[in-house]
Amino acid sequence: MNQTTQVTQKIDLANVAARAESASKIYGSGESEVRALDNVSVSFERGKFSAIMGPSGSGKSTLMHCIAGLDALTSGSVYIGETDLSKLSDKEITKLRREKVGFIFQSFNLIPTLNAYENITLPLSLGKSKGDKAWIQQVIDTISLNDRLDHRPSELSGGQQQRVAVARALATRPEIIFADEPTGNLDSKSGGDILKFMRRAVTDLKQTIVMVTHDAVSASYADRIVFLSDGHVAGEMTDPTPEKVLDFLKHLGE
Amino acid sequence: MFRLSLKMTIARKGRLFLTSLAIILGTSFLSGTTIFSDTINSTFDRLFTDVFRDVDAYVRSTDSVDTGFGEQRAPSPVAVLDTILKVKGVSAAVGDMQSYARVIAKDGKPIGQDQGPPTFGGIASESSAGLWNVEDGRLPVGAKEMMLDRETAEKGKYEIGDSVRVTALSGTRQFTLVGIANYGDISSPGGATFALFDQPTASEFLLKPGFVDAILIQGDGTLSDEELAKTINAALPVDAKLETLTGAEITEETTSQIKTVLGFFTAFLTAFSFIALGIGCFVIYNVFSITAAQRQRESALLRAIGASRRQVTVSLLVEALIVGVLGSVIGFVAGIGLSRALSALLNAIGLEIPTKGLTINSNAITQTVLIGTVITVLSAILPALRSGRVPPLAAMRDTALDTVQKLTRRIAIGLVLIAAGAVGLFASMNGADVAILGLGVLGVFAGVLVIGPALSKPVAMLLGKPVSALRGVTGSMSQQNAARNPKRTARTAAPVLIGVALVTAFTALAASIKNEIRESIGSSFRGDYALSVNSRGFGGIPTSVTDQLTQLAEVDQATGVGFIAAKVGDESPFVLVFNPKTADGLYDLSMVEGTQKGLTKNEILVEADKALNKNLTIGSKVSVTLVDGRSTQLTVAGTYTDAYGNYAISRELFEGSATPLFDSFVYIKTAEGVSDENARTAISAVSQDLGIGTLESRDEYIDTQAAQVDQFLALIYGLLFLSVIIAIVGIIITLLLSVFERRREIGLLRAVGMTRSQVRTMVRWESVITSLFGAVTGVVLGILTGIVIVVSLNDSGFSAFTLPIGNTIFILVGAFIIGVIAAVFPAWRATRTEIISAIASA
Ligand SMILES: Nc1ncnc2c1ncn2[C@@H]1O[C@H](COP(=O)(O)OP(=O)(O)OP(=O)(O)O)[C@@H](O)[C@H]1O
Ligand SMILES: [Mg+2]
Repeated sequence: MNQTTQVTQKIDLANVAARAESASKIYGSGESEVRALDNVSVSFERGKFSAIMGPSGSGKSTLMHCIAGLDALTSGSVYIGETDLSKLSDKEITKLRREKVGFIFQSFNLIPTLNAYENITLPLSLGKSKGDKAWIQQVIDTISLNDRLDHRPSELSGGQQQRVAVARALATRPEIIFADEPTGNLDSKSGGDILKFMRRAVTDLKQTIVMVTHDAVSASYADRIVFLSDGHVAGEMTDPTPEKVLDFLKHLGE
Repeated sequence: MFRLSLKMTIARKGRLFLTSLAIILGTSFLSGTTIFSDTINSTFDRLFTDVFRDVDAYVRSTDSVDTGFGEQRAPSPVAVLDTILKVKGVSAAVGDMQSYARVIAKDGKPIGQDQGPPTFGGIASESSAGLWNVEDGRLPVGAKEMMLDRETAEKGKYEIGDSVRVTALSGTRQFTLVGIANYGDISSPGGATFALFDQPTASEFLLKPGFVDAILIQGDGTLSDEELAKTINAALPVDAKLETLTGAEITEETTSQIKTVLGFFTAFLTAFSFIALGIGCFVIYNVFSITAAQRQRESALLRAIGASRRQVTVSLLVEALIVGVLGSVIGFVAGIGLSRALSALLNAIGLEIPTKGLTINSNAITQTVLIGTVITVLSAILPALRSGRVPPLAAMRDTALDTVQKLTRRIAIGLVLIAAGAVGLFASMNGADVAILGLGVLGVFAGVLVIGPALSKPVAMLLGKPVSALRGVTGSMSQQNAARNPKRTARTAAPVLIGVALVTAFTALAASIKNEIRESIGSSFRGDYALSVNSRGFGGIPTSVTDQLTQLAEVDQATGVGFIAAKVGDESPFVLVFNPKTADGLYDLSMVEGTQKGLTKNEILVEADKALNKNLTIGSKVSVTLVDGRSTQLTVAGTYTDAYGNYAISRELFEGSATPLFDSFVYIKTAEGVSDENARTAISAVSQDLGIGTLESRDEYIDTQAAQVDQFLALIYGLLFLSVIIAIVGIIITLLLSVFERRREIGLLRAVGMTRSQVRTMVRWESVITSLFGAVTGVVLGILTGIVIVVSLNDSGFSAFTLPIGNTIFILVGAFIIGVIAAVFPAWRATRTEIISAIASA
């Protein structure tokens, strides 16, 4: 385990999109205390597609929420780029999320009263900025949803909804995008589509994505996988294949 | 199942609280008015029981006129006292008088106001049958002495030996204060003032020499009150037209008379408390509908695991029952506080009604709890049935957006109701009964409320346009949120709609009445100044004042006008009494036929519509009976339009009558070339001597008279205030429930970068749009109602309608502010949404 910590520290800081340093998150207190994260240090490289894996309850979502500024750590610190989130007010964190972070959740990603296009540009509109028109068009082209832009979420399929969510996450050209089991609710065909889009966003559009997943096949789309177990970093893997991942997970279970 | 529903109800404290709040508010006004009325009634009960405590029998005239606002009775000759005192079983007898007398304080200002508690003049006697206990000094004797009740003496800063000025029927006089007394045990009953004299002085100064209002008798204990009354009655002269009552009877009668008058008032209050309750109903219904919708999954799950429709429905009704009982009990308690607030409100607008202590009858609580609970359960029936009909499959469905509802049937029903209402309104505009008017208004209101959901979406989208243009996505989301659930928006806006419609209708009505008053006085009053009092029915300006004024060099002409209760044919109206000799060119009745000049004491003038109605033409005979029982046949000499009363007679008719006649106003024309200052100084010299009456220029007088309508309007606003509060609470509750329902959405918005202040803005504008939707529809409905009422109650047609533009704008601005205020808490709540848990709750 010491080894893995050293590996992460070797990464050039200037090339890091987000990182956590000795991050701990404790829920409850006394008898019912749960250490969801226990002194975790991890960083995610710019321009890379990273995955977080681990058994249920290992702290994947908690780690992601804390790094993304959706939740606060009990101790330790998290950085988006060079910015230490613990030093920011709620308003500043909100602005940071709006401009530098993108999100894709497992479900309920879209505002039901807004159409697809409005959902995609929502973070921009909230910041009262027009954004980069050409970029947004490029994103929309990538997810091939041109003919569905004026539809409301209820008029879109689950896969289409997730594609809109991916487009929204990309719309502000954020520093980093977090995705928590983005394909968890989809069949393998639509799930595969979404993963391909995310892959293309990283390779072709030079974006940074961190994705939480349970699925070895999904994880194999990533450049690197961080394994969590019981709130600790349990290892990592670069250039994964589904076989290698399953193999590692088997060991993790032992 | 019952235990299960009980458990589920208690588990949801927030919802329980919100639903109860609506019921608490709705029922508190009802209980407040009930307690208030009970308190007034028992105050008077106790007061009169106390007052007539030592009275065993009561002799009075049989002649009286009952105007429906209390009875006026002829005086009794004081000579009958001798007869009564000789009756076996009588130990004491004394004359009683409760006439008008206004005491003027040391600083020259009168004690008591025109619309406050009455200011009495009476007889001071220490006989044990009398009502007064001398505290300081002694009883007054002779024409120069008087006594005051303790409180009035203190208010006027008078001490024994001081010279006191008093104005009464026969003018203003000076007396020496020789005694201070208590009324029974209390210093002053209900805030009334008392100036007391010996019997001959009182009769002569306050009424008519040799007469008193009635005779109070105390028995020696040998006979029961009934026997005593019987014996006395037998001894009275046959032709004296007198009757004898027992102490219990007179107490009962006096109390019930006061209660009749107060009854109009409490009925009025009750009407408004039912309006508040009705508005509360909407809120309750709305809360149940929303929570039933939010529970859809839960209900579906229950159905899926085997609960029957009935069980699901019953579980919601049980919740309603629990909340209903709970809410109404708390509402009842809150009503106690509200009854105090009601007294304060009435005091604030000058309608002082004495209340002592707090009377809570057991039926006040049963009534409140029963009505509150029944209404709650009734409001829950539809939502409960609906949730019973939820298919088990719905457990899997997402409920974030309402499915598009079928509105065609709703629109059809609404239109039918509106059409039926409109027919009624048209009929009443063309002269049908007032009841038809009421039904018509009700029909249109009901129709609009039924159509509401069909209106709310387009109107909310329209009202939201500027918001969305101004506030970008945040505004656009407010607009969408207000429109996304048309039924909910319509139900939330309904209380605002009803409240605003009522306020607007009353405002429009008041504006029109004011205008009419202005025109009416403008055309009848041809002089430069008016001296007026505001106490129609009891007391006023002594008729001798007109003569005093006429004698002034600065005054060219002065004429007084008064009102008196009389029997005219089969009616008992207040009849206008004027002086045809001095009125000419100064007070103009706007004659249609005949002339007012030279009206004799054998003639009467009739309002034109009344004449038509009663089939009276010039030359017809009308029998008129005055309070003193004197009956005459008067000949109709003309018809008129502009005046306060339906019948007008000459003052001459009252010469030599024991009926006290006062003027309510005196119109004055100044001599040529007299400056405003000089005229005022000269006239005030006379009026100030009286200590009563307000002297105003023509314009001021017209303004004041018109402004009297505002006092009534203020009362109505005050009473509708609670309805407005309920409407606000309704919006708060709906927003809170909506915020709760959309917490995932809000969490998501926060995650992708919506700031707390943007969340607040979003909720606030949704609230404003909803409130404005209610207000705009309400204003439209209110103005239409106002027009219809004015046109139906008035024969001059549509021209009589005055649109209160300023007030309408004010109402809309008010609705805007209501929207902002209602959003404060829900918006705050929304910003507290925890992003993580909102996202996590699948
Ligand atoms: N709000 C909370 N209060 C208490 N404990 C919590 C809370 N949220 C998470 N936990 C606990 O923290 C631990 C980590 O939870 P987390 O949601 O991060 O797991 P995860 O790895 O995302 O699991 P899954 O794969 O099931 O989504 C779990 O033991 C969980 O029970
Ligand atoms: Mg998780």
